[in-house]
Amino acid sequence: MKPEEIRVCVLRIEGTNCEDEMADAFRMAGAQAEKVHLKQLTGETFPEMKRNLEDYDILALPGGFAAGDYVRAGAIFAARIKSALGRDVKKFVEDGKPVLGVCNGFQVLVELGLLPALDGTMSPVPTAALYTNDSGRFECRPTVVRNDNGGRCIFTSSVERGKLMMIPSAHAEGRLMSRDLDFIRKLEENDQVVFRYVRDDGGKAEYPWNPNGSESDIAGICNPAGNVMGMMPHPERVVTRFTHPDWTRNCPGGEGDGLQIFRSVVDRLG
Amino acid sequence: MSAKGLMAKRNVSFDLYDIDILSSDDEDLGRISSDLSLGLSMDEMKAAKGYFSKEGRNPTDVELQALGQAWSEHCCYKSSKSILKQFVFGIDREDVLSRGDAGVMVFDDDHGYALRVESHNHPSAIEPYGGAATGIGGILRDVVCMGAQPVGLADPLCFGPIDMTADIPPGVKHPRYLLGGVVSGIRDYGNRCGIPTVTGGIFFDERYTGNCLVNVGCLGIVKKKDLALNYAGGPGEVMILIGGRTGRDGIHGVNFASRDLTATSDGDSRGSVQLGDPITKEPVIHACLEVNGKHLITGMKDLGGGGLSCAVGEMALAAGCGAEADLEKVPLKEEGLAPWEIWISESQERMMCTCKPENVDRVLEIFDMWDVSAVPIARTTDSRRMKLFWNGEMIFDMDLEFLTGGPIYDRPYILPEVSTKEGEKFPELPDDGKVILTLLSDPNVASKEWAIRQYDHEVRAATAVHPMVGKLNMTGPGDASILLPVHGSMKGLAVAAGCNPWFTALDPYKGGMSGIDEACRNIVAVGARPNAFTDCLNFGNPEKPERMGEFREAVRGIGDIARGLNIPIPSGNVSLYNEASGGMGILPTPMIVGCGLIGDVRKAVTADLKKEGSRIFLIGKTKDEMGGSLLFRKFGGERGDVPGVDIVSLKRLMDRLLEVMDKGLVLSCHDCSDGGLAVAVAEMCISGDTGACINLRSDGIGIRRMLYSESNSRWLAEVDGKNVAAFGAVMGDDAEDIGSIGGPSLIMTEAGVDLPVREMRKAWNDPIWSAMGGGS
Repeated sequence: MKPEEIRVCVLRIEGTNCEDEMADAFRMAGAQAEKVHLKQLTGETFPEMKRNLEDYDILALPGGFAAGDYVRAGAIFAARIKSALGRDVKKFVEDGKPVLGVCNGFQVLVELGLLPALDGTMSPVPTAALYTNDSGRFECRPTVVRNDNGGRCIFTSSVERGKLMMIPSAHAEGRLMSRDLDFIRKLEENDQVVFRYVRDDGGKAEYPWNPNGSESDIAGICNPAGNVMGMMPHPERVVTRFTHPDWTRNCPGGEGDGLQIFRSVVDRLG
Repeated sequence: MSAKGLMAKRNVSFDLYDIDILSSDDEDLGRISSDLSLGLSMDEMKAAKGYFSKEGRNPTDVELQALGQAWSEHCCYKSSKSILKQFVFGIDREDVLSRGDAGVMVFDDDHGYALRVESHNHPSAIEPYGGAATGIGGILRDVVCMGAQPVGLADPLCFGPIDMTADIPPGVKHPRYLLGGVVSGIRDYGNRCGIPTVTGGIFFDERYTGNCLVNVGCLGIVKKKDLALNYAGGPGEVMILIGGRTGRDGIHGVNFASRDLTATSDGDSRGSVQLGDPITKEPVIHACLEVNGKHLITGMKDLGGGGLSCAVGEMALAAGCGAEADLEKVPLKEEGLAPWEIWISESQERMMCTCKPENVDRVLEIFDMWDVSAVPIARTTDSRRMKLFWNGEMIFDMDLEFLTGGPIYDRPYILPEVSTKEGEKFPELPDDGKVILTLLSDPNVASKEWAIRQYDHEVRAATAVHPMVGKLNMTGPGDASILLPVHGSMKGLAVAAGCNPWFTALDPYKGGMSGIDEACRNIVAVGARPNAFTDCLNFGNPEKPERMGEFREAVRGIGDIARGLNIPIPSGNVSLYNEASGGMGILPTPMIVGCGLIGDVRKAVTADLKKEGSRIFLIGKTKDEMGGSLLFRKFGGERGDVPGVDIVSLKRLMDRLLEVMDKGLVLSCHDCSDGGLAVAVAEMCISGDTGACINLRSDGIGIRRMLYSESNSRWLAEVDGKNVAAFGAVMGDDAEDIGSIGGPSLIMTEAGVDLPVREMRKAWNDPIWSAMGGGS
């Protein structure tokens, strides 16, 4: 498939609010991206607006506050996807098509059971959660992540292992937790850890470099098959260097650190 | 006797009263105004009586309530309009595209940008979270109804001291509680709507204790071909009510905003505070922009102060029309609202649009797609009258020009006595190292990171210059933020606030000018050219001549400098009656939000020092102007000249500085404001995480005045050694080399200062974190 033939579905409902920049990021990587309201996939709209999930090659869940996040981050959006579209989404994943969730989108993927998915494509109930930040506050700040994936994750397929990337965070609930005490070890065994927060010199992250207190400094994970990835930091916000917070003092080129993630998946499909 | 005896319930199945004002004497008229909470003065009630005498009938309660809304200070600017007209209106330039609910200026060949700031002071003093949140909601709607996508929020706030331990006056909430609530409200609303909060400011002073200020500004971007009107296209159009349901929240909000706060405002006026719902707002924005972008509507307006009663009439009259509305069609939050409540409720998340009858179905389909309520409730007519019906029964029939005309007052004023050098008392000071640390830790200077990082300032992925600048997680204060509002274009929109309420209190004319000067300084410091201002004029009770004098002089100052610079003010807002119980007025606060343009954002400059060995220059002249300075406030100085503005120099300095920035000759730049040159250089050291060595000449005014005077129109600029000659060739006498960058400390030989950057960072970083909790 040529990159320009790759169709990305950027899924939105009321309260998702990072869909414009998510679609732009995929376009910069060469793909076609369309912002699609959930109702367009479930058929609750006029005929010319209807869309089929299976016609897309990549599914992206953008950040925001879907449905206000008033119950638990991502819970309402996930419930709506599951009830109307659960089987389609499961098939999409089982077909090996890539699914990306950023920030609120990551929270939705966990609520859907698509991550960490330690026992099958889509767990019937969530097996992890993105819990309130240690600070108790919404944190909008630069974070540096290291690619710790051994090669399984499609979204880092062309990012060197161990590479540091400045990808900013903006969330109140980003601390990945599970009741499974062996959770981190299992993720590592399956090569499901994708990104860890680190200091800007690559050292171990303390607050604020780890903005939420996530165990083992985990910022992003993928499913065992490597085609579903969720991450708290926002790569779509740094596809150009000129939105990095420190570009006026540190500007090695025009490209932003986040673009590599979009390019990885588009190039792999292409 | 109460006004009850003058009210006759009409024999219909809903709550409607005819009010006998035709046979009312003065006493009765006063009672009607107060019992119905109309907020109308005796003269205004008499004008109403005169009007209905001509109509030959008594009014209904709906009609009188609508008059109370339309004629409130908040809605008709009756005390301020003549002064605004005299001094600030009419600065025209070809690139002003609209002066609608928000101003719109040319951005590039295809786009305009929208700007507006307004206040949500009184609601926030009662219920800080809801007051601030709905303030954001309102300003977003003002920008959306220009057809513009909101791209950034700017929120300057003023509170009493957060560490206040003295007794709090009755009815007043602790400043720390108010600050916490307001920041949470802005955070939860702005973040949920996905609009970055990119600039603002937090001011602290005892005089804001009883009446905090919450000013909310918004910028938007609109394709020129999609620029919307805020009124109908003509008679025979359908008026569609969009968004939230209507309830009892926000009844009499405009009247509450048009009188002083009192010790019992909390209990009396809580119902005036609206309830916000960002997750209704977010799709309302999408859907409104979609119907506008498809050119299916003729006009759009937000429902703010006065609710339906103001929006419907204004949209019709501005098109030379009248309107007829069917009130029973308005979707309600609860059953049982009386028609007058529905007509004036300020329930949030509502907009009104007008469209040709043939487009109604398409418009409703789009709103349905977004699950946003949209109901045709009215139509425009060719009569210039406003008529309301309830299931066919006429309950309202008034001349729109009379209704929306409102009174205009030339209120008496007393010109203030201004502070001068005469009688100046320069305070006793500790050593200058101690002074600088004390100034850095004053909450007015200290880091606002606690608030800034709770606001998402990067959503939309278009923030090129951030509110905090420097090394990652070692940042210092920025000047202006820059947004990239058009995807794929490197043209930037800079935004910054400017205000000095202390100058304004001591010399309102110079204070008004200083706010504009500061906004310009901030914008120029990042390399952008100031292009337009919007202002929120927060003052006290206009019925007090001293307050009116302050207002008049400040507005005159703003007008003079804006005209001198030829920079328009295409939108603005006036908030009067900012007085706490006990009559303590706020500091007069003419809050300016300035916008600037930069052709190529890659040329933008930030305030953090960048390179060891480079030179640092002072641009602009430091004068003996200590009046209102942070130094005097902190250490007990008195009087002194308040900084003025030499408009000719300001223009020249901005031109030259922008020229050297455009040539890439400036590594970093920061304006001198609170705490003067000393604090400015300390802040640049903090964000650059490096020391500097400064050698000052006293210039006849003495080292201490050089260090701490807050003279306007000054910047510090860092220049690489190899570029000093080229920089000097443009700047000429306007820039003076005052030192070099490097080392672990800020050293000022003449003042005996040797301060480790680490120590300055701590003094600047910690105070607000410690007061509010948390921190890094």
